[in-house]
Amino acid sequence: MTTQNVTGTKFEGGHEGRPYVSRFSMTTTALQVRALSKTFVQRRMLSRKSIGITALRGVELALQLGCALGLVGESGSGKSTLGRCMALLERPDSGEIWLDGKNLLSLKSSELRRARRSIQIIFQDPARALNPRFSAVELVAEPLEILRWDTYEARRRRALDLMEEVGLSRQWGNRLALEFSGGQRQRLAIARALAVEPRILVLDEALSALDAPLQVQIMNLLVDLQVLHGFSYVLISHDLRLIWRAVDEVAVMHQGTIVERGKVRDVFAAPGHTATQMLLELC
Amino acid sequence: MLRYFTRRLLHGLFLVVGVSLLTFFLLQLAPGDFFAEMRLNPQMTAESVAAVRHQYGLDRSVATRYLLWINSVRKGELGFSFAYDSPVACLLWARARNTLILTLSAMLLSWLIAVPVGLGCGARPGGWSDRLCLGATSSLLAIPDLLLALGLLFLAVRTGWFPTGGMVSPGFDDLSGWGKVKDVVSHFCLPVATLVLGTVPVLVRHVRAGVVEVLASPFIRAARAHGITRRRLLARYALRGAAAPLISLLGLGITTLLSGSLLVEVVMSWPGVGPLLWEAVLARDLYVVVGAVMCSTLFLVGGNMVADALLFAVDPRIRTE
Amino acid sequence: MTIRRRIYLALGFLGALHASVLLASFFAPYDPEVQDRELPFAPPTRLHFVDERGRFHLRPFIYACASSSMPVAACVEDLTRAFPLRFFVRESSAVEKANLANQGAELGASESKRRHWRLFGVDQPARIFLLGSDGLGRDQFSRLLHGGQVSLLAGMLAAGLALGFGLVLGAVAGFYGGWVDELIMRSVELFLALPWLYLLFAVRAFLPLHLSAVQSFFLLIAVMGVVGWARPARLVRGVVLSARERDYVAAARGFGASDVYLLRRHVLPQAFGVVMTQAGILIPQFILAEVALSYLGLGVAEPVPSLGNLLAELQQYHVMASYWWMFLPGAALIPVFASYYALANALQERAGVVPT
Repeated sequence: MTTQNVTGTKFEGGHEGRPYVSRFSMTTTALQVRALSKTFVQRRMLSRKSIGITALRGVELALQLGCALGLVGESGSGKSTLGRCMALLERPDSGEIWLDGKNLLSLKSSELRRARRSIQIIFQDPARALNPRFSAVELVAEPLEILRWDTYEARRRRALDLMEEVGLSRQWGNRLALEFSGGQRQRLAIARALAVEPRILVLDEALSALDAPLQVQIMNLLVDLQVLHGFSYVLISHDLRLIWRAVDEVAVMHQGTIVERGKVRDVFAAPGHTATQMLLELC
Repeated sequence: MLRYFTRRLLHGLFLVVGVSLLTFFLLQLAPGDFFAEMRLNPQMTAESVAAVRHQYGLDRSVATRYLLWINSVRKGELGFSFAYDSPVACLLWARARNTLILTLSAMLLSWLIAVPVGLGCGARPGGWSDRLCLGATSSLLAIPDLLLALGLLFLAVRTGWFPTGGMVSPGFDDLSGWGKVKDVVSHFCLPVATLVLGTVPVLVRHVRAGVVEVLASPFIRAARAHGITRRRLLARYALRGAAAPLISLLGLGITTLLSGSLLVEVVMSWPGVGPLLWEAVLARDLYVVVGAVMCSTLFLVGGNMVADALLFAVDPRIRTE
Repeated sequence: MTIRRRIYLALGFLGALHASVLLASFFAPYDPEVQDRELPFAPPTRLHFVDERGRFHLRPFIYACASSSMPVAACVEDLTRAFPLRFFVRESSAVEKANLANQGAELGASESKRRHWRLFGVDQPARIFLLGSDGLGRDQFSRLLHGGQVSLLAGMLAAGLALGFGLVLGAVAGFYGGWVDELIMRSVELFLALPWLYLLFAVRAFLPLHLSAVQSFFLLIAVMGVVGWARPARLVRGVVLSARERDYVAAARGFGASDVYLLRRHVLPQAFGVVMTQAGILIPQFILAEVALSYLGLGVAEPVPSLGNLLAELQQYHVMASYWWMFLPGAALIPVFASYYALANALQERAGVVPT
C-alpha cells in the first residue's frame, strides 16, 4: 500500500505501514511532559560572553500507555535532548515530567532512584553503551545487581531468560560484549533495559547504526516485546521510512518544540507544518 | 592569540606565587631553625640566642615574615642568608651563573650530538645502525646520573687527565686571561660530559621516534615516488615533520636548566645552585632554600611557556584553536 | 620478541632480583652492622682453588689478611692457614658473639642475632669480603644486599603511596568535577611546577634532620609518596573523565546506580591499566630518589644501609682514589633500572603509547 503526500513523495510500506494497535479502549497517559525547557550553556574561560544553545522550549507531550511514538526532526531540533530528559539523564531547566501522578523532577534522590526504573533508554551506539569488558550475562543482569534483586543465581537465570527473549542463545552468556556483533549488542541492550520491567522505553537513534535488514529484525523484535511486556516506546530517528514502519503516532520537533503530532499516516500524508514538509522532501 | 598568551602568563604567575607560598610555609613548619645549633653552645646564653633571632626577624609571625620576604624580593634581595651573611640574591646570581654555564653548554652539546645521531638511526629503522643505537641508548639510560658522575670522577682521579672537581684551580688569580679560560674549561669538561651522557640517549630516542613516524607517513612515500633522494628527504622533509615534538622538548629542556644538575654539581664540587641548596637545607638557611627553589620554579614555568609558544609558532594546527 | 614475552622476561628478572634482596639475610654472610675495626677498606677477598702446593680443591678457600698490613688497601695474605668456604652455615649467636669479642670487634647496636641459615661463610677469624669492606670493616657484600633491600623497598612503597594518592585524588577530581576538580588540578600543577628533586628537598627540609634510622626510612617514603602523587593523579583523572562520559555509565545511572558502584564497577577498572604502567615508571624513579637523597645525607640514616648510603662514602677523596670496590653498590643499580625500564617500555607499548 502506498500513499502519496503533498510533495509527491511516495512511501512504500513493505510492512503495510504499521496498524494502529492500542491495548486499551481508554487512552491512559503513561507519561506527561509539561513545559520542558533546557538550554546548554558554554562558557569560555576568562570571557564574559557565554553561548547558550536552547535545545528545548516549553515542550508538551503526552505518552499513552502501550503506544509507540516516533520523534522526528532535523538535527538540532532537540529530539535527542527530549528523549534524554524523559529518561532522566539530563536535568531540564524548567518544566515537569509526570509519571504515576508524581512529578519526577521534584522527587528526592531515593524516590527518584526507584522511579528511574520505569523509564529506560537504548543508545545509538551499542559499542559504547555496553562496557566491553563485561560478559553478556553480567551486562543484562547489571540493573538487577544495582537494585540488589534476589540472589546472584536468580539474577543470572533471569538474565539468561531475557537473552533468549531477545533472540540470543543462552550459551553465549559468558562471552564478552566485544565478541558480539552490532545487532546482537543492541539486543543485549534491549534485554538489559527490560530487566527492570520499564513502562517506557526511549530509543535514541537506536537503529541508526544498523543496516537495513537488521533494522527490520530489531524492529519486529521490539514490536513483539511490546505485546509481551506492555511498555510504551519512543523511537527517536531521522529515518522517516523506519518511523513509518515502526510507530503508530509521530511527533515532529522543530527548534525545540513539537510542531505537529498525530497518527503517522495522517501526518506524512498531509503535513501541516513547514518543518514536516521539509523533512519529507529530504527523504 | 594575544588572549591565549595573556592567559598563559597569568597562569604562570599564579603558579609562581603559589609555589612561593607553598615552599615558604612548608619551611616555616620546620622544627628548629638556623640558630638552633647555637643553643647547644654553652657559651651562648638563651638571651643572646633570642637576641640574634630577633635581629634576623625569626621571632615574628609567619605571615609577617612572608610579607617582609615579598618586600625583599621587590627590592631585588630575595631575603637574607644566615650562613653566608649576605642577601640571597647576590649569592644566587653567582651560583646560578655557574650552573647555567654548565647546563647551557650541556644542552647545546647534547642537541648537536643527538639530532644527527637520531636522524641517522631513524633513517633506517631496523637496520644495524638502528639496533646499535637502541642498544646503546638503553644501556646509557639504565645508568643513573649519580653513577655517571661518580664514574667519570673516578676516571679523573685515576688518570689525572681532568681536575677532580671544583671550578677553578688554586692559584687561579695568577693565571693570564687565556689561562683562566683554559682552567675553567678543563674543570667543566667532566660535569658537562656527565650531563651530556645523561641527556643524549633520551634526545636520540625522541629524534629517532619522530623521524621514524614522519618517514612512515604517506607524503614521504609520495615524495620518494617522485624521485627525491634519500638525503634530501631526510634533511628537508623528515626533520621538519619531526620538529614539533622536538621543539617542545627544547622548551622542556629549559625547565631543568637550573635544577637538573644538582647531583652532578655536588659530586663534582661545581659551585652551582645545587650544592648551595644542599648546604642550605642541611643548615636550615631558610631564605636561601626558598630563593633557590623559587628560581628553579621560574625556569620551569618559563620553560613550559616557551615550549608552548614555540609549538604555537611552529605547528599551524594549534593556531586554529 | 613479542610484547608479552618481554613483559614476562622483565618481570622474571625483576622477581629474581627482588627475591635475592628479600632473602638478604640468607645470602649475606654477615649482618650489615657487624664491624671489624681491624680490617677497614679490605679489598675483595680472593677465592682460591689451587693452593700454594699446586693442589686443586673443588671447594674454594680463602686466606686471612695478615693484620699488620692494614689499613693499606692491599691485603697481604697469610698463607699459613686456608679457610675453606662453607655452605649452609648456621651460627649460633653465642658462638658468633664470643668469636667477635675475641677479635675486639664491635657489634652494632641492633643485632638481629637469631640462629638462622646463611648460604655461605668461613670460620673465624677469617672474613670473606666478596666485595671488600668499608671504613669500619663492614662487609660490603652483605651491606649491598641489605641496602638493596632497603632501597628497592623504599622505591616500591613510595611508588605505592604516590599511586594510591594519585588514584584516589585523580578519581575524585575526574568523577565529581566542579570545584573539587579545579582544586585538585591546581594543586597538581603546583606540585608539577617544582622540579621534583627540589621539591623533595623542600619537603625533607621541613622535617627534623636527625632521626633514627627506622624513622628516617618511613619519613623518606612518606615524603616521596606525598611529592609524587601529581602525575599519576592527572593521568587517572583523564581516564576517569573519559570513562565517566561513556554511555554505559549513563545507562547504569539510569538503573539507579550509586556513585560508588559506578566508580567501582566501571570507572576504576579502566584506570588500572594506567596505574600499572605508571608503576613501572615511578618505582625506578623513586629508587633513584632514595639513592640520591641518602647519598646527600637526607635519606635513610646510618647505620641502616641503603644503596645511597653506601655510595656516600665515595664523597671522600681518598676513598674514591684508592678503594675501587666501593663503587660496586652503584653498579648493582644498573640491572635493576635496566629491567624496570624494559618493563615500563613494554607496558607502554601494550597500552598503545609510543615509548621513547
